[in-house]
Amino acid sequence: MLTVFLIVHGLLAVALLGAITHQALSVWWPARKPAGSFVGRFRSVPATSYTNAIVVLFLCTAFLGGVLIYPDFRVSVRPPLEQLGLWPALGVFDLKEHFTVVGMATLPAYWYFWRQPLTGQHARTRAMLTALLAFIVWWNFLVGHILNDIRGFGS
Amino acid sequence: MTVPRSFPVFAIVFAVAYSVVYVISVWKNYALFTYHLATNEFALGVEKPKEGVPAMYWYGWLATSTIAASAAGLIACWLPRRLMERLWSGWSWVVPVCAIPVFCYMLRNYFLR
Repeated sequence: MLTVFLIVHGLLAVALLGAITHQALSVWWPARKPAGSFVGRFRSVPATSYTNAIVVLFLCTAFLGGVLIYPDFRVSVRPPLEQLGLWPALGVFDLKEHFTVVGMATLPAYWYFWRQPLTGQHARTRAMLTALLAFIVWWNFLVGHILNDIRGFGS
Repeated sequence: MTVPRSFPVFAIVFAVAYSVVYVISVWKNYALFTYHLATNEFALGVEKPKEGVPAMYWYGWLATSTIAASAAGLIACWLPRRLMERLWSGWSWVVPVCAIPVFCYMLRNYFLR
């Protein structure tokens, strides 16, 4: 069952990564004219439409990882990594769990400031909250991937 | 969907309080409860590991922070509106962003061994 949870956690993380990257790029590097290239089309999405999906995906990914998978990590993954002295890998993973909580703390504000109609007054706040969540999601995705690669699937 | 007028105040205060309380909870280990992996039990407050299996405090830190931040957000909603209208929305990202280097500093020993 844990394998199923891990795969679903990974799939949700990919969806979240795509959504938050679309939104962050469309805010920080908006397309000025009709896009022709792949990157241009990636940037020219309607950013607001991703908000609810990002909130739900963030919470679902955190719940799966933190509640259903994390206890097993502490028992069967962390001890061998400690024995191998892979402290930086464990450190970045501990940062992942703390960054996730920081991201969860911002979700009500993030959701509110992305509500329609968007106000120019809060454009900076909206952009910074999106950038913060994008950083956390990318960090978590890469660190989770690295830890999975170190331990080896099913080992 | 209609959102209460006080929701932005709640959301900003929640983000600030949650980040601050979570940092303090991790730093001082103020976990509301402990989860014992060995026995699959929850215990109120902070308890030492049982049977050589690590105890988990992360859920307890989350509970402490969620309750404290929700309370802070709700209290802020009751404050005079003219006071809350001056609340800068940027606090909702400034304080969480500041929490990130704090955690890096708290976990520095992992990278300096």
